[in-house]
Amino acid sequence: MTTDATDATTELSILLDIGSAWTKATVVGRSTGRWRIAAHAAQPSSWPDVALVDTLAARLADSADPRLSDRLRALIAGAPRITCHTPTRAGRMALASVSADLSGLAARRAAESAGWVVVESASLDDGRPAAERLAALQSVEVDAWLLAGGFDDESGEAALEMAGLVAAARGAGQTPVLWAGSALMVDQVSALFEPRAVRVLPNPRPSAERENVLPLRRYLEVLLVRLVEPGGARQLAPVGFSRAVVALARTNGLRISAVDLGAQYATLITVDPRGSADSLVLASGGLASPSITSSGNPARIAHSIPTAVDELAVADALQNLRARPDVLPHNDEELAIVHGAARALLEKMIDGQGRLEGIDLLIGGGRTIAAAPTPAQAMAIMIDGLRPLGVTQLAIDPAGALGPLGALGDDEIVEGTEMLRDDLLVPLGAAVVCRGTRPGHPAFRVTVHRAGWPSIGPIEMRAGGLQVVPLARGQSAELEIELESGVTLGGRARARRVHASVLGGVVGLVLDARDIPLVLPRRIDDRRAVLAAWQDAMLREIPPSAEAAS
Amino acid sequence: MTGGSVHRIRLERGTTASVQVGAEVRPDEVVAVRRRPLPPIRIPIADPLRRRADGIDDVLTVQAGSQVEAGERLAAAGSHEVTAPVGGLVLAISHLDGTILLAPFGPEEPVVGHVRGKIRGIDHDAITIDVPAARLRGVGGTGDAVHGQLALSVQNPDEELRAAAIDVAATGKILVGGSRASAETLTRARAMGVAGIVLGGILDKELRDFEAIQRRRREAGGLTASFGLLVLEGFGKVGIDPQVFGWLRSQIGRMASLFGSERLLYVYDAGAAPSRRPLPRVGDRVVSHGRPYQGRGGVVVSLLEELHATASGIPTRMAVVRFEDGRLAAMPLANIEATVRPEDR
Repeated sequence: MTTDATDATTELSILLDIGSAWTKATVVGRSTGRWRIAAHAAQPSSWPDVALVDTLAARLADSADPRLSDRLRALIAGAPRITCHTPTRAGRMALASVSADLSGLAARRAAESAGWVVVESASLDDGRPAAERLAALQSVEVDAWLLAGGFDDESGEAALEMAGLVAAARGAGQTPVLWAGSALMVDQVSALFEPRAVRVLPNPRPSAERENVLPLRRYLEVLLVRLVEPGGARQLAPVGFSRAVVALARTNGLRISAVDLGAQYATLITVDPRGSADSLVLASGGLASPSITSSGNPARIAHSIPTAVDELAVADALQNLRARPDVLPHNDEELAIVHGAARALLEKMIDGQGRLEGIDLLIGGGRTIAAAPTPAQAMAIMIDGLRPLGVTQLAIDPAGALGPLGALGDDEIVEGTEMLRDDLLVPLGAAVVCRGTRPGHPAFRVTVHRAGWPSIGPIEMRAGGLQVVPLARGQSAELEIELESGVTLGGRARARRVHASVLGGVVGLVLDARDIPLVLPRRIDDRRAVLAAWQDAMLREIPPSAEAAS
Repeated sequence: MTGGSVHRIRLERGTTASVQVGAEVRPDEVVAVRRRPLPPIRIPIADPLRRRADGIDDVLTVQAGSQVEAGERLAAAGSHEVTAPVGGLVLAISHLDGTILLAPFGPEEPVVGHVRGKIRGIDHDAITIDVPAARLRGVGGTGDAVHGQLALSVQNPDEELRAAAIDVAATGKILVGGSRASAETLTRARAMGVAGIVLGGILDKELRDFEAIQRRRREAGGLTASFGLLVLEGFGKVGIDPQVFGWLRSQIGRMASLFGSERLLYVYDAGAAPSRRPLPRVGDRVVSHGRPYQGRGGVVVSLLEELHATASGIPTRMAVVRFEDGRLAAMPLANIEATVRPEDR
């Protein structure tokens, strides 16, 4: 039986992630009975939709059924779309606390990790006169006021004074007041505001010794969606991304960490095999957020890149990135600055979330990581910025499909991620990252046993060393790791000999004995030499002569 | 960059609008008055009313957060009462010493709108004004809202604004500079009474230095006049888009309002400003946002088929642009925008 061109058709869906700077689109089509990612493309979000359709049609043209070639644009334009988007604006919060370092710090952590931007904070110990504090709080426009202070078994004048300050600054405004302080003071604080204005939340600093940020963070996540983006929580990119990662972890029985670094938002989520997740969403954590240009960052980034770029040029480049996040880095120097900024932002996220340890799979998302010019660059950003302790598989989401998949209904996400499991992620390989090395001493020895191939090693890694061992995509290997005294790959066991199974990827197996955190020489020339050596090591595999049958 | 638009002036707490909906306002007109809080004073409650410090709740008639007028009752017990010596905001009530902490309102300060237009609406936290002006939006800025006549201080958009170019004739004006200005130039401009400066670019370092100087002078009480700075294109030495520069040149002498921290410039009674369109086509005039041609204008000569790698190795759609100095360069399409003259829209 023959089918003419008018009969031929196909089933397509479009996964769309509309970011604040770039829009990522993925064409999912049915091929020989299976749903596959057929093409993907990205363009600045300011470009018209028709340009995206044209690009996708052009990418599909080579692989699509020739009978469809004239109708590809129409098919893509008419395909159902599953969309997520960066929140249209961040939730703005003013924070008032008794102590900047105790209640204030805990409350700020909870708010920022839930995706809020703290636009003004005041505390009784911030060194400002009361009038100045009041004027500062009066000058802000916010979606909510967060009050924190007082340990759970205490009732203090200080907390009440801060609540009074907020009552004075807020006036008759309608914005909600969130009391995250001593439970004993709920009535006194509530009395300062109109009825039902105050919502009582868990105290993030219930005692001097204990910080308990998570319950407050959870509540603030929900409140943010309700106040700022009512009606479409799962279509928000940070939410969709997290939901998709949870589905991947549960389906595959893996402990997964995933990071999505965008222009405005940065999301880091760690999920255990049962689906229990701990996420960090920074509304001002992306590459174009004002925080990247804040004092000290340009110098820090200039110190972290191997090329000789002065701090002033880095500062200008970061400001340009903030002003026009959809502009592409023109040359290696600009790219190095962007990647340096990405590493710095990931480090900041780890500071807020806690060290990554014992992760089975680490996924990188966002254009800077997942669309880096080479996979090795993507892997370097993740390893350097996140420093995952132990033996970890790494992958990227090059199409930006995780966010839109997470926007599906609860029962459809697993189906979606399972259908696309072969295409969704590009495996980069695995990394062995250790801690506790001593300068000048060996850190660990690795022998790589590859099925059907000669074994490699043992390779001795000395402190500060970085090396890539060839391990192709799909190829499995057993690692026999012998740790030196004091060196660890994490976990409770203090075994000196560790066995691990790894899978290869487009980069390979990275052996990293640079310790956590990375330690760099103080002298500029030495530092650049070390950074250049690490960059060089990531881009080349060990020569065949180093391979030896064991 | 658009024509007439709506401008919003935020009213902080303690600010009262002094205009009415429908009123026409001038840039130098006071649209509201504000009373800032002064350092708080303690008002004894327990002693005058002969109460224990921890027992004053029963006699209070205000609570923390209340706004009170001078003479308003704060607490009363029998025939005795305590009144507010001045108007202000109640910040706290101390049960340790039985006092009220009151932040008195300072003297009335005028809030100047700095825009010309018609009051569209007033609510508790903002005044909105219809502004009959062409608007330019920049990528950076600093300083206060200012207004003044537009004046040209450079001859071409790539030229740097030098301190020597600023003299007494620039006092009260908004100067159109070129590709950058040093912190020294900006400081001199402010000292000479220049209202504001519009630049294509500025070095981040110069901007930070200037802001630091202003902060120190403000703390020392040495700053009086307002000053605003608007950066149109980018950071570093970046010329103003030639089409925008040409348009600004044609508006010299017109009244303008500059909002540095909001990155806005309004030019009154002006024709529409050139607009920008992403994804330029062959023949379009464009401005580059990416190095090494940032801020330079040119014309798209051709669009390259398929993806090509930038020098940084990123595969992307590219256009060949002939820049105004005659140089031909392949630019990522994402890094250029078409500049459209109003008559070509």
